[in-house]
Amino acid sequence: MAVSWLQRLAARASVPVFPVRGMHGEEVLYRLALTPGVELVDSPRHASILLVAGGVPPDQYGALRRVHDQLPAPFATLWYRSQPLDELASATRIDDPDVLSGALKAMHHELMCGKRGSSPRLLPDEPPNPWEGLGDDGHGGEGMMGGVPYGRPMAMNMHDDIRDGLTLDSLTVTLGPFLPMLPPGLSVEVTLQGDLIQTWTTRDPPYPIALESVFFQALQGPVPIAELERAMARYHLKHLYFALRLAGLEALALTALRLAFESHSNPKRVATLRRRLVRSGFFGLTTTGQGRLDEETARRVGGVAARAAGLEEDWRSEDEGYRQLGFRPLTQRQGDTGARWRQTLAEVEQSLQLAAQAEQDATHTRHSDGVETPRGTWHRQWPEDQSTLLDDLLPGLEWDEALSTLASLDLVPLSPWSLEEASGAPVAQAIAEERRA
Amino acid sequence: MIFNELILPVLLVTVVLVVGAYLVAVIDEVIAGALGRPSGAGAWMAPLAQGAWLLNQQANATEAPDWRAWRLAPALYLALAAIGLAVVPFSPTLIATDLVTSVVLWGSVEALATVVIFLHGWSANTLLALIGAYRYVALGLSYILISMFVLIGVALPAESLQFSQVVASQEELWNVIRQPLGLPLFLIVGLGMTFWGPLNLADSRDLAGGTASAVSGPPRLVWNLARAAMLVAFSGAAASAFLGGWLGPWLPGPVWMLLKMLAVLAVLLLIGRLMPRVQPERCVTLMWVVFLPLSFVDLIWAGVEALW
Amino acid sequence: MDYPLIVDVFFVLLAILAVVSGWRVFATDSMVRASFFLLVSFIAVGVIMILLAAEYLGVAMFFMMAVEMMVMAIFMVMFMMNPAGLNPMMMVHQHKFSIAAGAVSFLVLAAVALLAEFPDNPLSADIDPVRSLGNELLGDSMLIFESAGIVLLTTMIGVVVLSSHNGRYGAAEEGSMPPGLVPGGDPAGMPEEEDEGGGHHHCH
Repeated sequence: MAVSWLQRLAARASVPVFPVRGMHGEEVLYRLALTPGVELVDSPRHASILLVAGGVPPDQYGALRRVHDQLPAPFATLWYRSQPLDELASATRIDDPDVLSGALKAMHHELMCGKRGSSPRLLPDEPPNPWEGLGDDGHGGEGMMGGVPYGRPMAMNMHDDIRDGLTLDSLTVTLGPFLPMLPPGLSVEVTLQGDLIQTWTTRDPPYPIALESVFFQALQGPVPIAELERAMARYHLKHLYFALRLAGLEALALTALRLAFESHSNPKRVATLRRRLVRSGFFGLTTTGQGRLDEETARRVGGVAARAAGLEEDWRSEDEGYRQLGFRPLTQRQGDTGARWRQTLAEVEQSLQLAAQAEQDATHTRHSDGVETPRGTWHRQWPEDQSTLLDDLLPGLEWDEALSTLASLDLVPLSPWSLEEASGAPVAQAIAEERRA
Repeated sequence: MIFNELILPVLLVTVVLVVGAYLVAVIDEVIAGALGRPSGAGAWMAPLAQGAWLLNQQANATEAPDWRAWRLAPALYLALAAIGLAVVPFSPTLIATDLVTSVVLWGSVEALATVVIFLHGWSANTLLALIGAYRYVALGLSYILISMFVLIGVALPAESLQFSQVVASQEELWNVIRQPLGLPLFLIVGLGMTFWGPLNLADSRDLAGGTASAVSGPPRLVWNLARAAMLVAFSGAAASAFLGGWLGPWLPGPVWMLLKMLAVLAVLLLIGRLMPRVQPERCVTLMWVVFLPLSFVDLIWAGVEALW
Repeated sequence: MDYPLIVDVFFVLLAILAVVSGWRVFATDSMVRASFFLLVSFIAVGVIMILLAAEYLGVAMFFMMAVEMMVMAIFMVMFMMNPAGLNPMMMVHQHKFSIAAGAVSFLVLAAVALLAEFPDNPLSADIDPVRSLGNELLGDSMLIFESAGIVLLTTMIGVVVLSSHNGRYGAAEEGSMPPGLVPGGDPAGMPEEEDEGGGHHHCH
């Protein structure tokens, strides 16, 4: 088949990639976000390549197949540090992050020019539940009510409303584990009235996230504070990138991400970023005091969330190395979404300042029986998965409020592998089993 | 006669819409690049390449969608943009349809746009698209009232509901100065109508693309095209209602009109890239508690000014 | 006859569209579809009005009906959201009464159309339809009616603003229950647990 001018033109488009975020696959996606000619999209319908980044536990292969089949033809799959599904044994697997973007572009080009066939469908194209039409009006119920055509219950199963007494009809759906707005791996069952969340039940916890190896070394012996603090700032800036992108501030999100990738960011540039955020209306328009944590919950979550709620919980104040640098934990009072972001920005600035100071004096940590990770204090026990607290926190919020609250809360468990060694790490199930043992 | 009454108007509307929509994509790309997005194919090429990609992609299905409404909604939205642009005057004589009630017709385009966008989200039969559709109705019902008062405000000094008369009434002083509240309020209406930038509640990222989250291939291309075209039609209405339309020294009228439309587009696209998406509840509160009372003030201002 | 043939052609086409979409309102199986078929029918009638030189009324019809049908659809779907109104459901009630009422009103309107004597005084072509319609409807009372209209609307919006944070039974943020029928009694209007399936039929 001759390649038409339309196909040649299409091959020049930036490559729309839908990322399935598996275990330890995050890092490469940050790099792709800064790569020209690659666009990370939010819906599998908008993509031409399915990038499975990181391992997926076998019990979530069903969900992975469903995502796979949602991509419109022609499309291809690429597996980054991940084992392709058995049906797709011939699919491309790449483990080197440096060649990934080139491979994505080449793959898109081949797809558009017809040199590569579309990935095959894995599931039969039929409704997930049978049509159970019965009765007068064909939907299995009586009159206008009842019945479950295609597995969807008809109206009239009203829940008591939790907000204003207006009992509207409700809809229950399962979301995740690959929904790009949720933390990777988190899967939930949500009941909605309109866009108001009535119930939120966590089904699968999010995948553990890998920290840089310096945090692990800090538990073995003294490490340079500069290195520790820069790693902390990097982690928070990447987290901020995700939330800003979600809030529709793509340009500022990329600024935050670039700061994270610079080896020696100036704290002044973080201050500039904060001023630009305030001016753009990020605090005024997208956060309205939701997601407030009470003291006990905040203590359970730890880290930024605890300090944003006014708790001075910070292992760094225990360490003489830090005390020598004049470290004092920063806190906010409100404990809501906006406060958590103000706290995050203030801490990033503080971390970079501490790093600059510590570099001059070559200050090292003194205690090695604990370390302050970006997720909270790691002393005797490490920060655990806290995603079940969402079940109480999110009901009553609108969808947008719930997601911005979720983005501001860091609830993921920590991986026993560091970022540097995560490529060889087994997938979540193995880790979960190991932890249980 | 056939040329003047049928071919010329259709040609005018089609050319302005298509070229305008392309320019919207290019300007948006340039702004995004200037603000730091890594750019791939270059601003002039990127929209064309993306369009070609969508034409090569299959249009997907969802489980039991309302096929007719789902496929029709993007086309209807585009048709509404064309109807809206058809009443915009480019010079005293160059008007596709010089309806005596063109300002009211523009109002109905705004109202019908709400219906079409709701249908687009509802008919896909998926959760995120449905939420986008609901949110849009809440936003739409809020901005339609603001738009109505602002447009009555510009109709008062013209003593007419005709866009060409509204432009002619600005011979001495443009409405942007005569009614200083009008243009800012109308720009909010424009962002709402095209759910762009801070008011993108329908197709937002937190809904994975909202009403468009389950659409791919050619229907998605039409939907994107229609959004950009609606922005163009809106910039035409804003330029006629507040910036004196074809009026201006030295240059011929239609050129002035196009320049003013481009200026409005640039401002809207810049706002779209610089501001975060407003939270729906905050948005509805702002609309009803701040902007709607302000539009009353604008109307009273216009009335007092007209009686002066 | 001083208008082109194309006007007749369009009139017939639009009339057919109005009637067919009006019939579909009763034949379709979802509330959203029914309200938007009704909207299509009204829009066709609006265009016919524009053809009849009633420009303002025709365009105002688009405007009003679009908002009206949207509000109707959203409220119906809100109360029966599940699942997005796409499951089929019976949309017709009280068949015999509706058929009788429909037949009677058709006969009455048809009789008016056929038997009434319409006035025959042609107007000059350069008359301004918007201005003359306004004078015809309101005449000298224009200013009073317009001011009253604005005041009414302001009042309505004021009420919305004042009550926006209060649900029917309390503040929106706190959650609320309807008051009991007797002091200290159970909340009124809540469905009883054992009442499932009873008293819920309002079709057939």
